[in-house]
Amino acid sequence: MTTRRNIMAGAAGGLALLGGALWRFTDLFVKHYPPTPYDDVLARLIDRERAARLGAAALRGMPGFDADRAAARLRSAFATGGLSVAATIDVVNGRMLEADGWLLPQSVALLSALAAKA
Amino acid sequence: MSALIDARTIPNGTVLTPDIAIVGGGPAGISLALALADSKLDVVLLESGGTNFDPRIQKMYAGAEAGVHYTPLDAGRLRFLGGSTNHWGGFCRPLDGIDFEVRDWVPHSGWPFGRSEIEPYFARAQSLCEAGPWLYDAAGNAVTDQGAPLALGNGGIYTSWFQFSKTQGSVLPTYFGHRYAGDLNRAKQLKPLLHANVTAIRLALDGGRVDRLDAATLTGNHFTVKPRCTVLAAGAMENARLMLASNDVMTPGIGNQNDLVGRFFADHPIPRDVGTLVLFSGAIAPFYSNNISLPNGAILRAVFSPTAEFARARNVVGSLTTVEQPAQLDATGIAAVVTTAEALGVDASGAKAFSLGCGMELKPDPERRLTLTSERDALGMPRLKLAMRIADSDFALYRQTLAELGRQLLAAKTGMLRLNLSHREEWLSKMDWGNHHLGTTRMSTDARSGVVDADCKVHGIGNLYVAGSSVFPTYGSSNPTMNLVALTLRLADHLRKVMA
Repeated sequence: MTTRRNIMAGAAGGLALLGGALWRFTDLFVKHYPPTPYDDVLARLIDRERAARLGAAALRGMPGFDADRAAARLRSAFATGGLSVAATIDVVNGRMLEADGWLLPQSVALLSALAAKA
Repeated sequence: MSALIDARTIPNGTVLTPDIAIVGGGPAGISLALALADSKLDVVLLESGGTNFDPRIQKMYAGAEAGVHYTPLDAGRLRFLGGSTNHWGGFCRPLDGIDFEVRDWVPHSGWPFGRSEIEPYFARAQSLCEAGPWLYDAAGNAVTDQGAPLALGNGGIYTSWFQFSKTQGSVLPTYFGHRYAGDLNRAKQLKPLLHANVTAIRLALDGGRVDRLDAATLTGNHFTVKPRCTVLAAGAMENARLMLASNDVMTPGIGNQNDLVGRFFADHPIPRDVGTLVLFSGAIAPFYSNNISLPNGAILRAVFSPTAEFARARNVVGSLTTVEQPAQLDATGIAAVVTTAEALGVDASGAKAFSLGCGMELKPDPERRLTLTSERDALGMPRLKLAMRIADSDFALYRQTLAELGRQLLAAKTGMLRLNLSHREEWLSKMDWGNHHLGTTRMSTDARSGVVDADCKVHGIGNLYVAGSSVFPTYGSSNPTMNLVALTLRLADHLRKVMA
């Protein structure tokens, strides 16, 4: 009995370890991104993969895109509130950028571009 | 009692001597004739066509074109009683106040008067167009049971309204010829002539007055009209053609002493699919994408229009943006919507997309012009050539306006917008035209900058007037018919005074 219980416990532990490893080290359950200097701002994104797709389009209209400057600008924008506040302030002040024709608040466009660069 | 008269039955050499001759039986000519019907003035209305389409007559409109691709000259207008109302869409909307103003960012802009000068005539014009009660920008209050206008943040774009000419049999708007033929018949002092082509305006030798009109039919009859006063109401192309071709006394053409007749031709470009509108909730009131009918007879559709303040601040001109059919988003579009909605904290799980259309105003351009060619029509009249142009800045100004709509949608967290067209080639590939012919006999108090004066009288000619949208010096973005009818009714009042 003890042996069977041990085997079952070992199997469960093994499965848990395997699941954890798959979660952590593969993109099977969740997409993993290499670390970047901008992870603090990228953490504002809910769907980073879609943002990266949008960002790739935004980058085509920003040939001189500077990731460090964009990140600094975003950190400054997020200092007084979240992405929603920053985006709203952009719109009210007419700070808009285009990505493949889509009119975006500047903060959304820059954040997406960073996601594409990462 | 008069009746529609077939000019082919008028004996050769006949001389008619009415008080007023109206050349052209379209919306301007018919409105003018009806407005003068209860005066004591004898009026002859000369219409080139009959009561229905005839390809032989229509062919007289054919001409040449150069420059930007444009509707063939014999396709965008119709040459029979009722004129181009025989194929209009029934769109009615008054010109905006700013359309009449001198605007330093719009060269050659400014009417000799403000909108208040034709406002008293709008109600009758609306009635002639059978466009229901006058609602327009008050229409939002009349449709609350059908939904609310889209929420837009503060800015330069607002929901404005078209009204529509009454549909006949649920399909077609008011065709002035069919609708008013009976009224023309009943007008005692009016002689409406069909198949009567004016081939020349003959000036007195001093060039100061019209002496007579040469008229002919395709069957070879020739007769003369010697009116006290002549009103050209044949559309912006034919008015210019007739004035340029009547050059025996004034060699540059009548009214063309300053080389203005035929210049400043304009139309409303209506490029398709100019933008993609996404509404995060997916909800939009039906009056944006469809005409809705109210029990009081009004037929309405909502559009997006720039405010006068926005036009002044951003130096744009008029435009009307319409919501058209549903659209599909590609992967980038979906990414844009998801990312932006998440950023704004808005649920976009039910988002829907729509294609946007528009009608644009063009800035006046003297090189966009009509000239005569050596080709002749069946009656020997020189045919026209149109040099059609559209500036990159015309597209750019409208794009600015559309971007403002996109900004306001985001500001209200209502939705977002894609600008679908950027480069000239993209715009031209989506181009269509309203076939609203405008501007070729423009109005100005100064003969150096206009063909007609504020009363629509040709500068330097004592008894020659022009009715219709050819006198519009700037064009606005509203469809011209109801506005040109209002201006024509004002001309009728003027003629009653000066002819009394």
